[in-house]
Amino acid sequence: MQDALIRKLESFEELTDADRAALRALVPRVRQVRAHTDLIQEGDIPERVHLILDGYACRYKILPDGQRQIMAYFVPGDFCDLNVFILDQMDHTIGTISPCQVVEISRQAIDELMAQYPQVTRALLWCALVDEAVLREWLVNIGSRQADQRIAHLFCELLLRLEAVGRVNENSYTFPFTQTDIADTMGLSDVHVSRTLRELRRLELITLKRRVLTILDVEQLKAYCGFNPNYLHLKNTRWGARRQVPWLTSGHGA
Amino acid sequence: MADQDNVETLVVLQPIAVDTGSPDCEGMLVLANGLLVAVLVRLAMPDHTQRGSWFLEAGLGHLAGVRAPMFDTLEDATRWVRQRLRAARVRP
Repeated sequence: MQDALIRKLESFEELTDADRAALRALVPRVRQVRAHTDLIQEGDIPERVHLILDGYACRYKILPDGQRQIMAYFVPGDFCDLNVFILDQMDHTIGTISPCQVVEISRQAIDELMAQYPQVTRALLWCALVDEAVLREWLVNIGSRQADQRIAHLFCELLLRLEAVGRVNENSYTFPFTQTDIADTMGLSDVHVSRTLRELRRLELITLKRRVLTILDVEQLKAYCGFNPNYLHLKNTRWGARRQVPWLTSGHGA
Repeated sequence: MADQDNVETLVVLQPIAVDTGSPDCEGMLVLANGLLVAVLVRLAMPDHTQRGSWFLEAGLGHLAGVRAPMFDTLEDATRWVRQRLRAARVRP
């Protein structure tokens, strides 16, 4: 399991033998978590950092009127809360969308690592910076793109993020999100999501069958929403060169 | 002000065709005391989970940006509009 973590971090930074030894000394817990289960809730004291090995999770808030807003999706290889574990109290909730395999690393262990191993710290910072860049792009998405472009943009982003961790097969990937999940992410109604999906299908840009999304024409879909992948910084990571991260697939069923 | 609160808002519906970029095109203009406050659309697409229900396609004034539930009937929708406008009127 430490090996998986090391490979993940090495996709951002070269690590020394000492760095790797320090990471191996960690004793992370691996948990199988069911779908629609909170990993940590608003108000909780964050004591562990969560890394998704398999499945999909999200970051969300519930408004006083019960409305949910999703602020981030986590796919295999993503840390859920690297930049929030320092908080005294969670200001939002992290929950699974589909069944997940989750690694938990104690806050103290991360603190000690970061104090002693600068390369590990840089690798962790890389993860956090890319998460922030994605959040900025989502802000642009909700604030400035039309409903149909927003959803197309999300499909393009997930394609690249999942491709980087070897979870795309012939432009198809697992898509466990419901229409309501998409609506709560994009600030739209279920009705608008359902109309947009119909329109994207009609234009023969996508199909969505049995929770598998297939992008039929990637270039057309990117053009449709003006997708620019620069914010994912894939070229700046070693993911850009490899486009495959075998440690994630080896993490299956561990 | 107390007198005003007791006056029931007169809500009138007028059929209208609506371009939603989808087969959902049967709509109703909702007028409250003669002012256009909302447009309702009947969900016709088979993809909708609540096909046949009425959806608040657009709200104006106090109903702008409000997330409304789906309505089984136009009576339900009218009652909801009246309640929301009454709540907005008594709000300080």
